[in-house]
Amino acid sequence: MKINIFKISFVLLVVMILQSCDDYLDLKPEDGTVRQEFYQTKEDVQAAVIGIYDAMLNQPAGVNDRPLTDYLFMWGEMRADMVLATEYASNDERDITRFNILDTNPITTWSAFYRIINFCNTVIELAPGVLEKDPTFTQEQLDSYVAEALTIRAYLYFTLTRTFRDVPLKLDATLTDQDNFQIPKSSQQEILEQIALDLKEAEGKAKENYGSPAANKGRITKYAINALQADVYLWLEDYNSTVQACNKVINSGNYALIPANNSWFNIVFAEGNSTESIFELQYSLNNLNPFYDMFFERPRYTASARVTEEVFGVNFQDPTKKDIRGDRASLVAINNYIYKYIGLTTNERKSRATSDTHWFVYRYADILLMKAEALNQMGDNEGALALIGQVRERATALDQTERNPSDTEGITDYILEERAREFAFEGKRWFDVLRNAKRNNYERIDLLLSMAAYSVPSDIQQSVLAKLEDSNSHYLPIYFYELYANKALEQNPFYE
Amino acid sequence: MIQKLKSWGIFKSILVLGIFGLILHSCSQQEYAERTDTQVNMLGYIENDPDQFSLFLEILKITGNDVFVGTYGTYTLFLPTNDAIDEYLTSRGASSIQDVSMEDLEDLVRLHLIEQKINTSSFTDGKIPTSTMYGEFLTTGAKNENGETKITVNKVARIIKANIEVGNGIIHVIDKVLPKATQTLAQMLDSREDLSLFNEAVVATGWNAPLNEPLTYDSDSVPSYLTVFAQTNTAFENAGINSLQDLKDRYSHTGNPMDPDDSLNLFVAYRILPGLKYVADLVTSPSHITKAPSEVIGVRVKKDTVLLNEETFNGQLERGIPLDREKSDVTATNGVLHIVKENFNVKVRFPTPVYFDVGDQPEIRQLPSIFRRPGNEVTFYPGELQNIRWGGGLYVKYVAHTAGSREAQAYWGDWLEIQRLRTGSSSWIEFDTPVIIKGQYKVWITYRTNGRASVAQAKFDGELLSRTVDFREYRNTELPPRVYESQGYKQSLAGDTWIYNSRFMGIVDVETTGRHVFRLEALTGAGGPSWIDVIEFRPVEMDQLWPKLGGDGELVYENEGEEPAEGE
Repeated sequence: MKINIFKISFVLLVVMILQSCDDYLDLKPEDGTVRQEFYQTKEDVQAAVIGIYDAMLNQPAGVNDRPLTDYLFMWGEMRADMVLATEYASNDERDITRFNILDTNPITTWSAFYRIINFCNTVIELAPGVLEKDPTFTQEQLDSYVAEALTIRAYLYFTLTRTFRDVPLKLDATLTDQDNFQIPKSSQQEILEQIALDLKEAEGKAKENYGSPAANKGRITKYAINALQADVYLWLEDYNSTVQACNKVINSGNYALIPANNSWFNIVFAEGNSTESIFELQYSLNNLNPFYDMFFERPRYTASARVTEEVFGVNFQDPTKKDIRGDRASLVAINNYIYKYIGLTTNERKSRATSDTHWFVYRYADILLMKAEALNQMGDNEGALALIGQVRERATALDQTERNPSDTEGITDYILEERAREFAFEGKRWFDVLRNAKRNNYERIDLLLSMAAYSVPSDIQQSVLAKLEDSNSHYLPIYFYELYANKALEQNPFYE
Repeated sequence: MIQKLKSWGIFKSILVLGIFGLILHSCSQQEYAERTDTQVNMLGYIENDPDQFSLFLEILKITGNDVFVGTYGTYTLFLPTNDAIDEYLTSRGASSIQDVSMEDLEDLVRLHLIEQKINTSSFTDGKIPTSTMYGEFLTTGAKNENGETKITVNKVARIIKANIEVGNGIIHVIDKVLPKATQTLAQMLDSREDLSLFNEAVVATGWNAPLNEPLTYDSDSVPSYLTVFAQTNTAFENAGINSLQDLKDRYSHTGNPMDPDDSLNLFVAYRILPGLKYVADLVTSPSHITKAPSEVIGVRVKKDTVLLNEETFNGQLERGIPLDREKSDVTATNGVLHIVKENFNVKVRFPTPVYFDVGDQPEIRQLPSIFRRPGNEVTFYPGELQNIRWGGGLYVKYVAHTAGSREAQAYWGDWLEIQRLRTGSSSWIEFDTPVIIKGQYKVWITYRTNGRASVAQAKFDGELLSRTVDFREYRNTELPPRVYESQGYKQSLAGDTWIYNSRFMGIVDVETTGRHVFRLEALTGAGGPSWIDVIEFRPVEMDQLWPKLGGDGELVYENEGEEPAEGE
C-alpha cells in the first residue's frame, strides 16, 4: 500500500518537472506568429494563396458572420429593385430594403472582407522572403502569387468602397495583437486610386494561363485583372482606360458569348467556367454554396414583381419567343424564385447535395457592356449601341425591350436596363445604378430616385426619396462595433 | 442517556460554530448592488447635458414631470434643444418659461412623449402608430436641406440625434418644439384663403358642423377623426367653377344642398373619410369608405404620385386625380386635411355583370406559353397566388384544355382544379374578385361535374350565401332552360356539353364598388378534385341565361341563335 503511494508520487513528480520547464523558457510571443516562422517553402505560399480563394467561398468554422457571397449579394441587390425580402429574411435585412438603416444593423459588418484582406496582405508581405529560403521557388512563381493576392485585395476594397465609400485602407499584414488597428478612413478616391495602382502592378506579374479551364476561371488571370480594371476605371470616370482594359480582354480571343440554345443555362450558370466566364468563385461538390438555402429551401429573397414583365418582358402573342436570361434562367416566373444559382437545366433544379453553382464575378458580357458605357460617355453612341446589340442578340432579347436612343442619357438608361437583364441577381444592380447616378456630381440622381419610387413600399416612399437626395445615404453605415474597436474611425454623417 | 449526551454535544458544537460565524460576519460591511443596470434614465441624460437641454429640464421641473421621466418605463421622448425652446418662446412673445401658462407647458411635455419605445426604423411617411400622451398623433417623414437629409417630425422638427437608448426608453433630439394642432378641420378650412370656395360648399351643405366637432370616442373607443380632401379655388377654376352658384348649378339637383341626397351634398360628403388617414395610410389600401353612403374612393400610387379613383374599368383606363403631397397631411385637432389638384366627383356607375374566370390570375397571365394556351397546365402551392388563398398544403392547378375537347368548352377554355376541397385541412378556398360595382347580384358558379368531389357552401365578404353547390351534380339536359333556371341551375356556357353545370348560389348585396372576397367552404369529404371554371355576378334585373360564355371568351347572345329557340 505504502509503496504504491510512493511510486505514484514519484511518477507524478517526474511528470510535473518535465512539464513545467517547457513553456517557461519559451520567449516567443503568444499573440501572433513570428515572421521567420511564416512561409518556409513555395508550397507554403501556394497553400496560402489557395487559402485566399477558399476563404471567399465560406466563412471559417467558429466565425459567426456570413459567407462573402452572401454579403456580395445583399449589398449589391437589397437596396435595388430586382429582389424582394421574404418572411425568411431577418428584420435587419428588411430594414435595409426599406432604407431604415441604423449602425447597429449587423448586415453592415465588414469583418468577412477584412479577414480575407489580411490573408492577401500576408502573402504580399511575406511571400517574397521565401525566395531566399526555398531555392526551387522562382521569381516568376512569386510574381504570379503576389498578383493574385493584390487583385483579390483590390476586388475586396473595391466592393467595400462602393458599399461604405470611405473605409480604412490597411495594406500591410496583421501578424500580432500588437499591430496598430487604429486606422482612420481613406476617401473613396484614394481607395480607388490605390486599387488602380495595385492592379497595374498585378497585371505585370499575373499569368495568362494556368493550363486548365477551371483554374483559368477560378484563379486570377491577367484578363480577370483587366476586367476589374475596367470596372474600377468606370468608377474613376476614366473612360479611355476603361476601353483599353476592355480591349485587352476582347483582343485576347479567349472569351466569347455563347449563343442561345437549350443548354445555354446549364453551360453558363449550372456548370460554370464557360468561355463566357472571366472569373468565378468556385463552389464545388466538396464546398457547397449557401444558395440552396438562400434562394430555395428558405428563400430569403425572391425576384421582385417587376422582373418578369418589366425587366425581361413577356411576348403575349408568341410565348416561344423569350429572352433566354429571363424565365427559368434568372428566375422562375410562376413563383418569382431566383433560379440562377439553384437550377441545373431550364427544367431541373439542383439538390442540396449538388448545390455547387459558382458566384459569377465577371463574365464576358460585362466587358462588352462596360465598354459600351465608356464609349457612350466618350460620345461614341454607335459603338455603344453595337455592343449592347451584341449582348442582346445572343440572348434573344425581346423586341419590346429594345430601345433606339440617340443621346447619351438615353443610352445610359438602355445600358442599365440591359445590365439588369444580363446580370440579374449577380450582386451588381445597386452598384450599377449608383455608378451612373453619381457621375458628374450626381447628374443622374433621378436614376436612383425613380428606382426607389417604383420599388419601395408606398407608405415610406416619400421618406426614402428624401433620404436618397442625401448622397451620404447611398453608402451603408460603419457597424457600431467597429467604431468601438477603432477609435480613429468616423461614422458616415448620415447615420449620426 | 448516552444518546442524550451525544446530541447535547452536537448541539453545543453547532452553537459555538454559529456564534463564531456571526462574529466573523458582523464586522465586514456587505455591499449590495442597488441597481441592476447603470444606464442613465431620460432625466439623467437631460441633466448630463445642461448646455443643450437645461430649458427642457426646467419645464419638466415646473410641471412636475421630472420625477416620472426619471423612473422606470418604456417611453419615447422627442427632446427639444435649448435653441428650439428659445425659438418657441420668442414665437409666443414670451421672455422666459415662467411667462408660459402651466397648462401649455404641461401639454408641451405630453406632446413630446409617447408611452412606447419607438425607434426611427419603424417610421413611415405617416403617423407614428401610437399617439402621444397629449393624445395627438405625430407624423414622421424626411426632408432634404442643402443636400443633407434628416428625419422630420410633424414636418417642421428635424431629428438631429436619433435613437439614444436610455434606461427607460429612447430619446430623439429635435431642433424645434413640435407644433400642436390648434384648429378643427372646419376652422382650418375657414382660415385658408385658397380653399374659400370649398369652404363655402362645406358650409352650404352643412358639413361644417361635423368637421367642427371636437374629438370624441364611441363605445368601442374608436375616435371620431375625419379625413378631408379639399380642393383649391384654382382647381375649381380650372374646372370652370368660379362661385358657389356655379357649384350649385352644376351639382345640386334638388336645389337644397342641405339634403343628404342632394348631389352637391354628396359631392362634399365624398371628400370626407372617417378615420385619421395620412397619405401613408391612404396608400396602404386600394379603396377607402367615404361619408357619401356606400361610395368609396380608390387610391393608387403611380411612381411617386398618389392618384384618386384611377381604375381600369371594362378595359378602359380612367385617369385619376393627383393628390398634392406637399400640401397634404395637415393635422387638425379632429383629423387631417389633404389637398387634391383637380376637381372630381362621385363616380356614378350602374351594376354590370362580372364573369370572373377564376384562372385569370396575374401570376398565370405572366406565363404566356400557358395562359389560355390549349393543352397547358401549371401548378401552384399556397402563397404563390396573390389573389387566391386556400387551406391545407395541397396544390391548385390551372389547366387550359386541348382544343376541340369537351372540357375546352369552358369559358376561355380553362379551369382551376382545386386539390382538393373537402372537410379537414384543405376545407376552404378564397378568391379576390375583380372590381364589382355596388348593387344586387345573382351569383352563379360553373363547374365540371366530378362524382368524387364535395358539396360546398359559399361566402361573399364573410356572409353566407343561401344555397350550396354540389360539385358532383350533373346538369339536367331534359328540362326547359327557364324551368331549370327557376330551380337554381342553368347552362352557362355557349357549348352544350353535359359535363359542365352551373349552380345559382344566392343573391349578394355589393355595398361598395371594389374588389370583394368570394369563399368556398367544403361541407363533405371528397375523393377527387373540384374543377371551377367561372363565377358569374349578374345584376338581379339582368337576364340570367343570356349571354352565354364561349370557349374562346366570346359572349354569345340569344338572337345570334347558335342554340335552338328557347321554350318560353
